Amino acid sequence: MTLSVALGPDTRESTQTGTVTSGDVLTAPDVPWNLVIWNDPVNLMSYVSYVFRSYFGYSEAKANKLMMEVHKKGRSIVAHGSKEQVEQHAVAMHGYGLWATVEKATGGTAGGSGKGKGKRG
Amino acid sequence: MAKAFKYGLKGIKGHLEPAERELLRSLFDDVISMLEPEQRANEDPLAALVGLDTEAREPSDRAMRRLLPNVMKNDDAASLEFRRYTERSLRESKIGALKAAALSLDRDNLVLTPDDARHWATALNDVRLVLAERLDIRDDADADNIHLMQDWAQAEDVESYLALVYNFTTWLQESLVQAMAHSLDR
Repeated sequence: MTLSVALGPDTRESTQTGTVTSGDVLTAPDVPWNLVIWNDPVNLMSYVSYVFRSYFGYSEAKANKLMMEVHKKGRSIVAHGSKEQVEQHAVAMHGYGLWATVEKATGGTAGGSGKGKGKRG
Repeated sequence: MAKAFKYGLKGIKGHLEPAERELLRSLFDDVISMLEPEQRANEDPLAALVGLDTEAREPSDRAMRRLLPNVMKNDDAASLEFRRYTERSLRESKIGALKAAALSLDRDNLVLTPDDARHWATALNDVRLVLAERLDIRDDADADNIHLMQDWAQAEDVESYLALVYNFTTWLQESLVQAMAHSLDR
């Protein structure tokens, strides 16, 4: 991702973890697919965060946290659900121009974002 | 000079010079023509109507692959299957946003409704994705290098011109997204 102009302090990684609840309905334990967003050098950090807020309804803090995870780790799991649900999200993300893929939540390829459930529970 | 987009009572307001409007119009048109599905002689009209494209393939052009990416990282067959059901409507929604953005360039006052703003943001993003492939921006260091090009007096070849255009669209999208984020805060 790219940062083209100086942004305000609210776009830096938030240390808050306890205030986010809106998107967590997706984090049911028995749903086996992930939506992954990949880093690229073009998409603006502000834009990625905006998409997470407006499409998923995530709080600003959660959207920024996920955005920073994409930026720093190269990828982030931003939603879970049935295969159909995450595929629908992926098409929406492609519509926004974000680089999104879907993957099965179980198995070795899901690495990179183990965190989330325990922290936000 | 263009002015940054600002969120206010009447929506998101911007200001562009005639030459900047012309530039954006031609950029939007370029990406529209890239995305427009080719007409096939023996196409099943009913399949086309429901958005099915049995001939869809992963694009060979890098920029097109970035606009219309595979849905799975390591499963080309499943990605292709998915592409046949979804790519046509994805192309159409992108074209719709680009056309809507181009249309609002005809108005004297650039005052964007929430829908306009969303169309503008995705249209500018798609333009930047295409320009970035043409400029061979592969990582953040490449992006930083391109970002150094800010002076139009430096435009001496196609690449430096494209870099300046890229930086202009980046700045414009950034200011728009900041204004859109303010509108979400309300």
